[in-house]
Amino acid sequence: MTEAGGLGGARRWLPPALGLALLLQGSVQAYTVTITAGTRTIYLQVGVGSFTGTLSGGGSPGVNATTNVVSVTVPAAQVGTGTSQAMTTNSTVANSYWDNFTFCSPPAQLYVGGFYRVPGSGSGSAATLTATVPSTLSNGSGGTISFSQVSWTSSGIGDTGAQPFPAGTFSAGSTQTIGSIARNQWAESCLTFSYANTAVVPPGTYSGTVVYTLTAP
Amino acid sequence: MKRLLGCLLAALALGTAGAATFPVDEVGTFPQGSNAAMRWRQIAPSRGGDNTVEAAVVINVRLNLAPFRNKTGKIYMTLPQQPVTPVTVSWTTQGRLLPGQLVSGQRGLVYAGPILLPLLEETLVLKIEADGTRLSSAQNLDFHFEIDID
Repeated sequence: MTEAGGLGGARRWLPPALGLALLLQGSVQAYTVTITAGTRTIYLQVGVGSFTGTLSGGGSPGVNATTNVVSVTVPAAQVGTGTSQAMTTNSTVANSYWDNFTFCSPPAQLYVGGFYRVPGSGSGSAATLTATVPSTLSNGSGGTISFSQVSWTSSGIGDTGAQPFPAGTFSAGSTQTIGSIARNQWAESCLTFSYANTAVVPPGTYSGTVVYTLTAP
Repeated sequence: MKRLLGCLLAALALGTAGAATFPVDEVGTFPQGSNAAMRWRQIAPSRGGDNTVEAAVVINVRLNLAPFRNKTGKIYMTLPQQPVTPVTVSWTTQGRLLPGQLVSGQRGLVYAGPILLPLLEETLVLKIEADGTRLSSAQNLDFHFEIDID
């Protein structure tokens, strides 16, 4: 405590307790702190991603521009037989950035995960994951394969119940919904892709790029 | 007549002061920066569902205790109940006041003992926490100080 200057002269003639009562009438103040809502954040990781540490360790997400490849080599004798061909990925991501839990099994599975942070308690307004799918994969010399030949199953080590990004088949030439992430949730799945192999096509390397987009309302 | 009235009022005040709580004049108390940007404690939603947002703000405290000088009492910091979500506030001090914690709608003890000097200056560092899933817009927290005279 520090000494301060004297009080107002008008108070001096009053008995101490009365002075107290009168002073309290008009001199009370408050100090105000304005708090603001938390920020909105979305994070999406398809294949490899960047995260400093893990969520449970107080880490934070980063940016990773890598485009991972999912591929299969169909033996010549198998082309167009209708025997589904398992695809593999060059992604090496097995662990979740959520808690470093080993969740996927690369190269058979591709990790897809993310989160949606949003303040407030609005209902029914999840973030939506979509895929923009070209019509075809192309070999660069006129040969094409419909993207609808590619499908996937969904799972996760230790998971039970429905996956946030469930099994599906690419809808060629469209933007399709892959799944959703509820408000203030982390969602992740491991996708296992396969090629339907029902088309007889010329030999070559067929490629195409699917772009995944997480959109918050 | 004025002097007689003054004495009567004084007697009334003295008769109720023993158990009374009085506001404390805190003119000159202000936060360093009026806005506290709340940050998610965990930037991503956690498995445990921790949706806390938090912020720290420094408060320059200046309490006029002259009316209570040479009395013994307890000084509290108070925060009214908040309309959207409860707010938890904890604070550290430089030693003149006590560190503590309160939840909106309650009060937290910052001093207990004799009031020897008329002015108390202190710096508090408040840590403010709330449920980020309920706090959707800016909210004013109006803090007060009050004293219980023994």
